[in-house]
Amino acid sequence: MIEKIVSIGCFLLLSACPALAQFKGEIVGQGGQKFPIAVSPLKNTGTAPDSGKLSEGIADAIVHDLDLSGWFKVLDRSAYIENPQRSGITLGSFDFQDWSTIGAEGLVKGGFSVQGEDVTVELRLFDVFQNKERIGKRYVGRVKDFRRIAHKFADEIINEFTGIPGIFNTRIAYVSTSGGRFKEIHVSHLDGSEKFQVTNNHTINLSPSWTPDGKSVLYTSYKDRSPSLYLFELYSGKEVKWSSKTGRYLGGKVSPDGQYVAATLEAAGNTNLYLLDRNGNVVRRLTEDAGIEVSPSWSPDGRQLVFVSDRSGSPQLYIMDLASGKSRRLTYSGNYNTAPEWSPKGDKIAYTGRVGNRFAIFTIGSEGGDPRKLTSESADSEDPTWSPDGRFIAFSSNRGGKYQLYVMQASGDNQRRLTGSGGDDTKPSWSPRLD
Amino acid sequence: MPHFKIVCYSLVALFALAFGGCAPSTANKPEMTAAKSATTPTAPGGSGKGEGERGTASESSTAPGSLEALQKGQSSGTPASSPLKDVFFEFDRYDLRTDARETLKVNAEWLKRNPAARIEIEGHCDSRGTNEYNLALGAKRAQAAKDYLANLGIPAERLSTISYGAEIPVCKEQTESCWSQNRRARFVVIAGKPAS
Repeated sequence: MIEKIVSIGCFLLLSACPALAQFKGEIVGQGGQKFPIAVSPLKNTGTAPDSGKLSEGIADAIVHDLDLSGWFKVLDRSAYIENPQRSGITLGSFDFQDWSTIGAEGLVKGGFSVQGEDVTVELRLFDVFQNKERIGKRYVGRVKDFRRIAHKFADEIINEFTGIPGIFNTRIAYVSTSGGRFKEIHVSHLDGSEKFQVTNNHTINLSPSWTPDGKSVLYTSYKDRSPSLYLFELYSGKEVKWSSKTGRYLGGKVSPDGQYVAATLEAAGNTNLYLLDRNGNVVRRLTEDAGIEVSPSWSPDGRQLVFVSDRSGSPQLYIMDLASGKSRRLTYSGNYNTAPEWSPKGDKIAYTGRVGNRFAIFTIGSEGGDPRKLTSESADSEDPTWSPDGRFIAFSSNRGGKYQLYVMQASGDNQRRLTGSGGDDTKPSWSPRLD
Repeated sequence: MPHFKIVCYSLVALFALAFGGCAPSTANKPEMTAAKSATTPTAPGGSGKGEGERGTASESSTAPGSLEALQKGQSSGTPASSPLKDVFFEFDRYDLRTDARETLKVNAEWLKRNPAARIEIEGHCDSRGTNEYNLALGAKRAQAAKDYLANLGIPAERLSTISYGAEIPVCKEQTESCWSQNRRARFVVIAGKPAS
């Protein structure tokens, strides 16, 4: 069992796979093809009718997630042979041959039972090749939250194959003009579901980011005419405003331990970085520069900040050690490098760089080195944000005309569109993993 | 032959626009030495010297601030009749071009003739680049205009600033001619509107 898990993980990650290598050709093929998996619509195992369309809805959400990961080839549902409402969902109660025939190596099956507003969902992952069950999970929740159950199980599938849980039970905060001409803060799941509009003040709202507990969003707003920072608690709707007597806050990011905020404060035309406590009081000033110092992002250990400064003559990334206060320059190529975000593993920094007349997403090692361009300059791609496991990057791009949100593997592979709100969607910020 | 010459000059102007627009600022930027300001064309609404001197200070000096215009669904463009003219900047720069200084001198004259007027100077950027960096860049532009007016003798307490970054453009086309109109400092009378 363990061996098998390891072996499939190896196939997917294309790393060394000493055992069971004879399956490699059949499972992933030459050059690392995607893992073929089928996700059956769920069986209604209860007595209440499927009025919420859970059978296909849960399967659809799992398919969305597996597809987004870039590691799976999800087989088209129209090719499935068995009738999910008649066949069983446990080992021995269905025929693996119905699935091996269509080329599936993995299979997701499940059942659900609705009781009023609640639903019980059972989900299983099978190894079609070995006729074995790999994961079995039971979830109880509200019917309206069925997608969250699907995302949690997708995270389990990713964990089974790679040893690290997936990131599908997360949310994205972003700026959208979907309601008209005003930029407002929105939050939604990766598949666009459970959309929630944080602001509706008909002014300008920018730069949302999450607190490390995933419960609040910090953002910049002009709703009181002058830009200030606001911390909005999603579940209670409570909001705190942070303003300064000496200047105006243009943006901020909460530290990994949740105790501090690195904020950008503009005064008399100069923008500098400040360290604030959780009540918005200045702990200390971090930069003393007559130029532009903006967009701080914390290292995962909270000891360093990467930020943008134009002290060299063009916007470049710098890293500051908070204990010593000393900074070092990180980027040297290009004359416009902005919007950095430190990866959760700490080894890389993603940012927006200018290429000719276009903007692209880059990553660079946090110790420097060669920057890697991850997006094409046939359109603009901006504002990268890391998934909590560091394996994906979401960003905004105008490759489809309007700005929309996209996600890709951290290597730049498998770029997929996330949103299409009808307006411009920009400035995504990926939440931590949610409960 | 004259036609041929015009074409040549247009190409030169286009070239200057295409490449001048990319160069970073020289102000406070030691690594950059190329000064572009003298050769760049004036963006629309530039130094309209005569208009401010017609003694019609009372006319239309009341264009709303850009945020108010956005809220009302109006253009944040400065009306041609406004006595206070916009000044324009190069891409990623906040130093004042020659034409910007000329415009600021005209604006300063109006402010001297209307001593009760207090103005808010808005800094704006084109749509390219990162929001937060553009907010900082817009603040630099507004401050550059404010400092210049103060040097011309306008009391600083009559001048406040705000940056809107790239958030309230006057046009949205992805062209240099539109971008150049958005890289601006704008002057809005917020108190002491002229009595004359």
